Amino acid sequence: MELIAFFQWLDQSALAEFSKAYGGVFAIVQVGHILSMVLLGGMIITGDLRLLGVVMRDIPSESVLENTHRWLAPALTVSIITGSYMTSAIAMKIYHSGFFWSKMYWLAAGIVMVYLIRRPLLKFDHASINPWTLRLMAIASITIWFNVAGAGRWIGFS
Amino acid sequence: MLNEMLLNLAEWLAVQDWSIGLHEAYYMYGWVEGTHVLTLMLFLGMLCVIDLRMLGLILTDVPAAKIAQRLDTPMMIGFGIMLITGFALYYAIPVRTTQSIWFRIKVVLLIVAGINALLFRNKMHASADTWSEDPVPPKRIRLGAGLSLGLWASVVTAGRLMAYDWYDCNKSMPEFMYWAAGCVAELAASEAP
Repeated sequence: MELIAFFQWLDQSALAEFSKAYGGVFAIVQVGHILSMVLLGGMIITGDLRLLGVVMRDIPSESVLENTHRWLAPALTVSIITGSYMTSAIAMKIYHSGFFWSKMYWLAAGIVMVYLIRRPLLKFDHASINPWTLRLMAIASITIWFNVAGAGRWIGFS
Repeated sequence: MLNEMLLNLAEWLAVQDWSIGLHEAYYMYGWVEGTHVLTLMLFLGMLCVIDLRMLGLILTDVPAAKIAQRLDTPMMIGFGIMLITGFALYYAIPVRTTQSIWFRIKVVLLIVAGINALLFRNKMHASADTWSEDPVPPKRIRLGAGLSLGLWASVVTAGRLMAYDWYDCNKSMPEFMYWAAGCVAELAASEAP
């Protein structure tokens, strides 16, 4: 199935009918989306700044990363649910938005970074990992998630 | 009286070259607003970590006061950037922003959140020795942290709702709303016999 068929289906769905009809609900869901991104971004930045040695240098990085990681899945889940609701209201406009697809690619990169690179690597003793590997991973992670948020913000301007 | 003064100031700002330039700029306004929103992740993200620790929900093996101290600087850097970009956004669209009920609610909430942060910080400094190492801090500290999270979430909500025109001055609203939003001309017209 081509992706446009999915967006056309979404545009005609009952969810789209609801999200288009109730602007107030859309606005509140949008706030939920922003707050979940704040939580997600905050936990990512805190962990990455610790890996870079910028904050909490006297607190074991294993503890900081383990604690912040726990909040990523709930924040990501809420942001995907709220994002899907928002997409349903403007499905066809979104399909033709370059910033939306940019956000999706960065988001996919972010999920790969968190669950396939960052998490598995950081299960090892951090002292046994080359410090430059940790720093480069932290910089890449911050860059990816800032691009997710930045592209998301620019969808509104397009 | 205050509404007239604020509107006069906004109208004076609105005709400044820089205000018009920023408003009309094709990319600059977007960059300023984008920075304002992105910095939320730094400022509010750090605040979330601190407040969640005060609620006993994260990093419970690390003293709460230590977390607050270590994250204070990046959080305040984020707040500083948000403040500067926030002023720039107001400067770009001063009249509509001045007459936005959501902007007014946001400013009040910002003041309340600021007072709460100040009181919370003083309370924490005065008593941290007795509970800082506890995985779950005392009830009064958890209350302050919960209030802080709620207030900042409300600030974000009011800020986001500023984009909607539901209560703009050109809409038909009760007199109280005209007054609260600072719709000077509309309020005068509605009061006229």
